[in-house]
Amino acid sequence: MMQKHLEKKESILKRGWWLILLILASLLAPFIFTEFYLNILCEALVMSLFALSFNLLFGYMGQLSFGQAAFFGLGGYAVAMLMTKVALNFWLSLLAGPILAALIGLIVGYFCVRLRGIYFSILTLAFGQLIFVIVFKWHNFTGGDDGIQGVFPPDFLKSATVYYYLILLVFLASAFILWRIIHSPFGQTMKAMRENSERTEFLGINIARYQLITFVIAAAFSGLAGAIWVPFYRSVAPGYLTWIKSGEPVMAAILGGSSTFFGPILGMFVMTFFHAYVLGFTHFWPVIMGTLILIIIFLLPGGVLGFIQEKLKERREREKQET
Amino acid sequence: MSGIARAAMLFLVASGLSLTFGVLRVLNFAHGSLYMLGAFITYSIWKFLLIPVVGFYVATFLATLIMAICGIVIEFLLLRRLYSRGWPEQLLGTYAIILIITDLVKWLWKGDFYSIPRPKPFTGAVLLFGFPFPSYNFFVILLGLALVVFLWWLVYRTRIGDIIRAAAHDREMVAALGIPIPWLFTWIFVLGSSIAGLSGGVAGPFGSIGLGMDIDIIIECFAVVVIGGMGSLPGTLLGSFIVGQVYSFGIMFKPQWALGFIFMVMAVILIIRPWGIFGRPER
Repeated sequence: MMQKHLEKKESILKRGWWLILLILASLLAPFIFTEFYLNILCEALVMSLFALSFNLLFGYMGQLSFGQAAFFGLGGYAVAMLMTKVALNFWLSLLAGPILAALIGLIVGYFCVRLRGIYFSILTLAFGQLIFVIVFKWHNFTGGDDGIQGVFPPDFLKSATVYYYLILLVFLASAFILWRIIHSPFGQTMKAMRENSERTEFLGINIARYQLITFVIAAAFSGLAGAIWVPFYRSVAPGYLTWIKSGEPVMAAILGGSSTFFGPILGMFVMTFFHAYVLGFTHFWPVIMGTLILIIIFLLPGGVLGFIQEKLKERREREKQET
Repeated sequence: MSGIARAAMLFLVASGLSLTFGVLRVLNFAHGSLYMLGAFITYSIWKFLLIPVVGFYVATFLATLIMAICGIVIEFLLLRRLYSRGWPEQLLGTYAIILIITDLVKWLWKGDFYSIPRPKPFTGAVLLFGFPFPSYNFFVILLGLALVVFLWWLVYRTRIGDIIRAAAHDREMVAALGIPIPWLFTWIFVLGSSIAGLSGGVAGPFGSIGLGMDIDIIIECFAVVVIGGMGSLPGTLLGSFIVGQVYSFGIMFKPQWALGFIFMVMAVILIIRPWGIFGRPER
């Protein structure tokens, strides 16, 4: 028993070395990158958090939400409006983002979790678009098409480097919490629901309630991602709530591999840096993204990490057979 | 009454969506984009021809044909490879088509807004219960009714219709009877995308043509098929009627919330009958 425990601990150290390396590298990033790339790195981290929250629903619960950007946008709008209109404290506003997103997520989720598969996607898309239309048309409250400009963080956070560390901190903390959720009994229940909802129900588990809780958690983290992003970008616009934005985490999860925890992060990093690169010579980004999606679907059905995992598994099995 | 015209417009678009879903079991996210493409193509042909009176009808007809060809291309190159995949990939695949078409339209038509004047003989207005009512709306309603009759005839009164209904029910069995399912699917998708092209053309004089018209219509179409039941012809008809009416009344009371009212109806339906009024439960 003890032996087994020790072995496990060792394997975490052994397998986790690249993670520690990555975190160290990310701590040093501001000294290596120019400001331009640091900005993109910030965006990649925020969007990765967004993708992780989405993948909680997609990869672990097996439900594809196509309206996740609404929560991202709501989090952003909460911060922007509280800071510019009420002049509320930055940290409290930051906290309000995920809370608002979770509250709306509770309402939207109440309807959505009754549905499975494609119907779930349609309803989340529809609700997301509804929230977008409300924000877009409610001109005298949300600023409508113009959005809200001049959302400044407190003075000591104004430099990109300092804010980068804040984003990094929020990202690591959130990723850790999400990791713990997924690897808790709650997370196992989630996976059970994905694999066979009928049998899970027979175990006496209230599927709708579990899915609703997951939906709210995902909404809250999407809201947090939006909330942390807006003061960095200094403004918010209704474009953040559209389905194009909702498509990004879907794409990242598929690109990186939705069956792995780190897949969506990898996908989002690839996408964000690629996006920045492509914008250098053309603004027809969507057509490139569309083509990329098709290539991934046809060539790498499990995403990049899923593909690597599969290959590693094959190799391990071959080695086993040889010995 | 304008609600009924709106309902007819919705039916034109939603019927194509519902038909493809009913048989192919693939929800075509890009249906709205095909509709938008149809509208832009109609505009360009109309502008190019500039034939008085019949120009618009010729343009719409040609756009429908072009969209049918687009349908063949998309089905052959993409959809055909996606049938055996899971629905998330199908969804993402059609989503990719949206992105590509949107950029294509942005590139070819510069993202501007266009409008087509109402064609003769539907330029004027008709007085109905003392209110002026654009006569073009009657054209849309008539076309909607014609499509209802045509689809009803096709699905319930022809041999092809028998095959379509059988394939929607159990495609393996139909394939076992020696009917080439891949070809059937191609033709169904072509029918769906040409309906999208036709409705896009008709939508030109109804509103304005511009980017974003695809997502506007597809969201309402989703509401229609969710309310009425996916893949069901009578369901689509009823759903269009409900959404069209709710929208028009919503516009009268609180324009900003019109879409919200539709969603309230949708939410109520989803709680009572998650598979829609005329739909059948999955599995």
